[in-house]
Amino acid sequence: MYFAKRVEELIRSSSADRFGAACGSSGEASVPKMQKGEGSEAQVTWEDQQNINKFGRLNNRFHELEDEIKVAKETNENLEDASNELILSDEDIVRFQIGEVFAHVPREEVENRLEKMKEDASKELERLEEEKESILAQMAELKKILYGKFKDSINLEED
Amino acid sequence: MAAAASASSPTSPAAVTERRGIPGASFVEDVETYLKQSGLDANSSLAFLQERLQQYKIVEMKLLAQQRDLQAKIPDIEKCLDVVATLEAKKGTGEALIADFEVSEGIYSRAKIEDSDSVCLWLGANVMLEYSLEEAKALLEKNLENAKASLEVLVADLQFLRDQVTITQVTVARVYNWDVHQRRIKQATKEE
Repeated sequence: MYFAKRVEELIRSSSADRFGAACGSSGEASVPKMQKGEGSEAQVTWEDQQNINKFGRLNNRFHELEDEIKVAKETNENLEDASNELILSDEDIVRFQIGEVFAHVPREEVENRLEKMKEDASKELERLEEEKESILAQMAELKKILYGKFKDSINLEED
Repeated sequence: MAAAASASSPTSPAAVTERRGIPGASFVEDVETYLKQSGLDANSSLAFLQERLQQYKIVEMKLLAQQRDLQAKIPDIEKCLDVVATLEAKKGTGEALIADFEVSEGIYSRAKIEDSDSVCLWLGANVMLEYSLEEAKALLEKNLENAKASLEVLVADLQFLRDQVTITQVTVARVYNWDVHQRRIKQATKEE
């Protein structure tokens, strides 16, 4: 974990004077910031801790969502390509993959199945994008609150 | 009630002590009182917290591996359900289902599947059982539900774990800061 390693280095150099709060416990958004002077006196309350926790959780979910959206986009593209291929081809029996085998399915049924799969896939993609928007909004809110209280003592940006 | 996540108690920091074997990190209201109560000095307390972080890391790896397994299992079960549904649909018509299947990598062969009332399901551990179509569907659906439920619990565990890690990291930073602050005060009074 990036932040834990940095803290060890800082502990060894005892003349240092730094404070950093880690957020995004997967190590992605945690960069201890240097701060000269007294060192921050802002006390961390339970509510602050909960906000930091929530931000970390949202950040993790956000990254998972990005991966899921990538996969969903690919699926959508594949289905589009498949249905285009189907239109171009003129066979009556199409080998349609069901499970691990390719069943011989009449063309019309394949068309229907493909339409349904495309609909499901695009709904799924929409749902994921909406979730992503909502998470970004919540993260922006939390950033405002946390930066408001801790100003420079906290860093909530990605590396 | 160890299952409550710490975010559900807005007023009191007396959060969960542990959840399914994961020790909870207690929130520190004030660094000085915390150090006095535990009787440790700043360095030992930092060492203890670091050790805690390592333990959390190990548990996180384990949970992530389990999550990956489950996430791979679920699409498999869904594919099987698909096949059973297709066989069921074909049952009424009396036509045989013709399918191309993989014999070996890159080599496919054609199979003609006659109308049948039963399928064989691979249960693992070199065991395969024959079921009627309805039974097979019920079994697969139950497995799917169980897998999805386990995944949900796992995700909640991971969230709890990550929260504890965050709390511990913030505590480390605060203890360290307090220590530095103390040293500076001592330095300042010495110089006077």
